[in-house]
Amino acid sequence: MVGAMEIYMLLPKTNCKKCGLPTCMAFAVGLLGREKKIDECTPLIEEKKYEAKLKKLREVMAPLENASETGLIIHPEKCFGCGNCVVACPVNVAAEPTRCAVGLGPKSDKVILAVEDGIVKCMNAKECRRFGPNKILCNACTATCPSKAIEFV
Amino acid sequence: MEAKVIIVTFRDIFQYEAGKKSRYSDEYRQLSAQILLDKQDMADLGVKDGQRVTVGNELGCIVAAAKASEDDPHPGLAFMTNSPWSNQLVRDDICETSIPGFKRIEAVVSPTEEAITQITELLQRMRA
Amino acid sequence: MTTCTGCSLLCEDIELALKTGAITQAKNLCRKGQGHFQALFTERTRPMIDGQEVSLDQAIGKAAEILKSAKLPLLYGWSNSTLEAQAVGIDLAKKLGATIDDTSSFCQGILMERVLTGKIPTCTLDDVRNYADTSVFWGADPSNSHPRHLSRFAYYPRGEKRQKSYEEERTCIAVDVRKSATARLCSNYYFRLAPGQDAEFIEAILAVLEGKIPKFGDKKRMIELGTILRKTEYGVIFPGLGMVYSLQEKMDLLETLVVKLNEITTFKVIPMVGHYNMRGFNQLLLDLTGFINRVSFKDGKASHGPENSVIAAAKRCDAALVIGSDPLCALPFATARALAKVPLIAIDPRRSLTTDAAKVVIPSAMYGLEAGGTAVRMDGVKIAFEPAIKSDLLSDEQVLTRIMEAI
Repeated sequence: MVGAMEIYMLLPKTNCKKCGLPTCMAFAVGLLGREKKIDECTPLIEEKKYEAKLKKLREVMAPLENASETGLIIHPEKCFGCGNCVVACPVNVAAEPTRCAVGLGPKSDKVILAVEDGIVKCMNAKECRRFGPNKILCNACTATCPSKAIEFV
Repeated sequence: MEAKVIIVTFRDIFQYEAGKKSRYSDEYRQLSAQILLDKQDMADLGVKDGQRVTVGNELGCIVAAAKASEDDPHPGLAFMTNSPWSNQLVRDDICETSIPGFKRIEAVVSPTEEAITQITELLQRMRA
Repeated sequence: MTTCTGCSLLCEDIELALKTGAITQAKNLCRKGQGHFQALFTERTRPMIDGQEVSLDQAIGKAAEILKSAKLPLLYGWSNSTLEAQAVGIDLAKKLGATIDDTSSFCQGILMERVLTGKIPTCTLDDVRNYADTSVFWGADPSNSHPRHLSRFAYYPRGEKRQKSYEEERTCIAVDVRKSATARLCSNYYFRLAPGQDAEFIEAILAVLEGKIPKFGDKKRMIELGTILRKTEYGVIFPGLGMVYSLQEKMDLLETLVVKLNEITTFKVIPMVGHYNMRGFNQLLLDLTGFINRVSFKDGKASHGPENSVIAAAKRCDAALVIGSDPLCALPFATARALAKVPLIAIDPRRSLTTDAAKVVIPSAMYGLEAGGTAVRMDGVKIAFEPAIKSDLLSDEQVLTRIMEAI
């Protein structure tokens, strides 16, 4: 998972404040928290000397583009489709006591995780217990993944 | 420069998937003609990640890509998936139970400039 | 619901959305099953003789001719065919006085024989889910070989007596020569061995179970392992090829360990079979002949021995029928070469190295999708399945019946 320092190294590091934040480090943190978008750093976009850094920055930020609002990211190319996360997820278990709870695939669409075409898909991400006012640091899906295909930002 | 290794075969879901698509696919070759080596063994051999190596014993020889293992150190031990590449090196006369030595392949690894062995070449060897 | 025939878990909760020529969506199929099902649509075989396409009748006719005139025919494969097809295959072997062998011969055979004859106690995977509080994957990496094993049975699901599952009531142990994906999930219950050390490891476990100091391994960890095993209510050991190949003729040691464990508590063994119906063939052949594999029907009655294993028989046979298997890919070079040299008949839904080297290729329907039948899961549970797709292709059972009729 990319870190704030790694992102900072790809920015102009001039603290020009054009993005509205006081420092490039603050912008890096903002990018990671997805409160800021790459395009808000106008020098990075407009100045030719930053072309290589911009390209690299887009590359490392790409996985986060697909992260759900809870920060859940799935790397489909790593996923085994094993269903460990589907069966471990407490929301899945509560929604499907006769299916996911006991190892089977879900019947309803009230679950967060389900395996489709060999790979896990995330849906209803807002139901995830890491989200919302009573959020907890649940890590059932990431802790049970054999290949680090599922992780949190 | 060469190194003696004991090769153990293992299951890899991605290699299985590639082989299911086609035995003749690039992906199947990449995941089969590949030998996972201990990082230190590779350094001692002067081989970089992805570099080609010959892997051979008295039964045969193939050219594979060396890959640095991400496991805890395992000097002298190497890993390959079960495929016609690794099978070039497997003895079938190891003991009375008639079980081939898939999990104990003694071989020698050495850097090379030769190209990775193609599956068509392996099939030719079988039919020669 | 469709049943997946990708591995011996035979998952029955697969939901497919189909249109002509494609599966547009597959639910609950793991990556391995998805690869297996998607393979339906590419590189399908056509009837061939000597590399030329012919009619199905011609191919079957030629196959019958080759087998009939052979003095030492070998019939090999079987683990990817249904019980119904296997039964016809065994009949065919009897009719021809042929040698018949399956993949268990160089795979789980030594262990399967002990399980099927009751020398080693076993249970079902449903028992594992409902009762097991300790699962031991020994020389096996189910995450890669049987991806849904841990989520359907061995570690993560809730069961009758295991409602709190992996969080509080189940322990998963991995014994392996490498830190596999499964070993990583077992975290501090991963025991690393060097190749061939399984016998010593078993002896060390026996020692700690008897309250003695083990001569092998980290003493503290071995004692900890002994404690876990002792406190287990219902344990299951899943030996993979890593253990089977390491112990080989010393398989008695596993028997001894399991006997010892059962003096203290309950422990069962389920062999980690690869192909979806290997156990079915072993059980069927055992019921019919008293042997699980490596049988010759020469001289009219069944005889058994290592000379009848595909490894040995390939070198002596003068014709071979390979069904649902790709030995040129999966077997040692010397065996592959021996098979490539004789007139080879390959029955397969898809192209493989073996079909490419075969004199006669007979296309067959893919079980699970295009043809149905009965198979035996790795734990002995019989699973019957129907096809999901209409196909004009003959099933293995039908092909073999036609060959029998032509002989």
